[in-house]
Amino acid sequence: MSHESGEIEQKYGIPTVSLAGSNVVSFGIGPNLTYNTGMPLRYVGVPFPFSGQPRSVLRSYIEGKDTVSGKPMMAAIVDGLTKPLTAEERMSGNPPESTPEPRLLPPDTEDHLQLLFKERCWTDYNPVIIPTEERVAAMLKGTGHKPDEIVKSAAGTFGTRRPFTVEKVATIAVMAGAKPAYLPVILALANEVPYQDSTTSIAEMVVVNGPIRKEIDMNSGLGALGPNNDANSVIGRSMTLIHKIIQGYDEGVTGFASLSNPLRYDNLCFAENEEALPEGWQPFHVQMGHKPTDSVLTIFTGWNFINSTGWVEQHYAPQNLMRDYMSSLSGMGATLLMDPSVAELLNNVQGFTTKEKLAEWLSQNVEKIAQSYWGNAIVSSMLGPLGEQGLEPYASWKKLPGDAVIKPFTNPKGIHAVVVGGKTASVWFATDFMPGRGVSIDAWR
Amino acid sequence: MDRRKMLALLGVSPVLVADAPSYARTASRNAPKAGAAVTSGLVTALNPAVTPQLAQRVPLAPRLSTLEGKTIYLVDTDWGGMGQNDGILQEMQAWFAQHMPSVKTILKVKKGNFVTDDPALWKEIADKKGDGVILGVAG
Repeated sequence: MSHESGEIEQKYGIPTVSLAGSNVVSFGIGPNLTYNTGMPLRYVGVPFPFSGQPRSVLRSYIEGKDTVSGKPMMAAIVDGLTKPLTAEERMSGNPPESTPEPRLLPPDTEDHLQLLFKERCWTDYNPVIIPTEERVAAMLKGTGHKPDEIVKSAAGTFGTRRPFTVEKVATIAVMAGAKPAYLPVILALANEVPYQDSTTSIAEMVVVNGPIRKEIDMNSGLGALGPNNDANSVIGRSMTLIHKIIQGYDEGVTGFASLSNPLRYDNLCFAENEEALPEGWQPFHVQMGHKPTDSVLTIFTGWNFINSTGWVEQHYAPQNLMRDYMSSLSGMGATLLMDPSVAELLNNVQGFTTKEKLAEWLSQNVEKIAQSYWGNAIVSSMLGPLGEQGLEPYASWKKLPGDAVIKPFTNPKGIHAVVVGGKTASVWFATDFMPGRGVSIDAWR
Repeated sequence: MDRRKMLALLGVSPVLVADAPSYARTASRNAPKAGAAVTSGLVTALNPAVTPQLAQRVPLAPRLSTLEGKTIYLVDTDWGGMGQNDGILQEMQAWFAQHMPSVKTILKVKKGNFVTDDPALWKEIADKKGDGVILGVAG
């Protein structure tokens, strides 16, 4: 919204007042001004929650106080449009340079540094490996890139400029406990900041494909989704640290995830079990257009992670239970994580000779009722307005009675399958995680 | 002696003292005794923090001298989905009608969804001589 208010103010010279919920308004008047818009937009804070409230409550809000200034809300709005600009609001041009962070911290004991790192929000609140010069130098041997090479500049939330170097990533890799051989994967991961944040319980999943999996002993088999492997654990942890240190995620300051998500502890980092794919099923990165010999990292984003709970029953084919469970997902996208034994059953017994055929079947068979579909706020906020503007099938679905049945996964290309696991049980997860672009790990070797 | 200098000589980080008084007390008890080599056990670590770049400052548009007789657009950004914001904006319209009846208010819904821009609407507001905009509600 700040971008839009800024455009109206700057391009058309029209004064605006920006309304924001009391849950996030501090971001608008704080970090967003300092690092993003540079424009001291006049915000008025609305009590949260406001969605779904009856009109009497909304009326009490506007008859109440602006949560920013403490003034009566409508008086604050009138002031926002009429009160002459202050000197700060008339400022233009380049700000003074930020105080640069020194490359080295003052010498201190390891215990003190551990505490300092926690206080600066540079950890996941587990102890880190202190990144001494020697350790970082050893880590940098894991890549051919120069330590002072800028990996990315637009790294902060909303793409604010937080330029960082290969050495910064190596420093974080040391802190997470990485081996130098992991560094190309962690650099590829860092190249994808800013990661997705939301006030909702969004989370991310890191899937690695290609030869690097074996080179660094990533686990794609038995227990791959648990805390059972060095590379999986440490690379996943690196993502958490990159999110906090490089992106600058700070709960309550630059991020406001109400519940957050326990999946964020290790970001579901694992490798696909390419060797156990049934004949005809391609590795995920190959499906996305990469060569089998490419090493690729893909970050998926989503909310839900539904466990099959038990193994596949003979009398109920696995795709049927997948269909049933997927009916609780939003329909915007899905990724199934399945044990190789499930993939074999689907391929050999059920006739899904490719991942794409399974996706096609699920797209045609997952159903839910219209009012449940539109009851999901992500669907409602992203697709509802498009339906109101005539985009099909959402326009037609909006006109349906609440109990009408729809097939929410309109696009089979939005349904993905990743094979992982150790074949000790025919189990799977249905998730609504959606992949971003695959990132070359080889480019960071 | 200055307290910060004294603590530094005792091997206690002034940074920690500033931010964590309870820890500083513990650290002081565990600090090397007078005469011990204050540099022993110290390590130099790389700083993982990056330097955020400040945004270029952009001034706001001049404000109106009064709202009397002016046209104010209330723009629903569609945050949170259909019909989540229009109630608040309609209540604001009703407030203007009651308390500032000379103000003409026009309620518009942004095209696309809450993450997309609607430059055509901003141009329309300018072309139709909108005097001010109330935009929201982000949450």
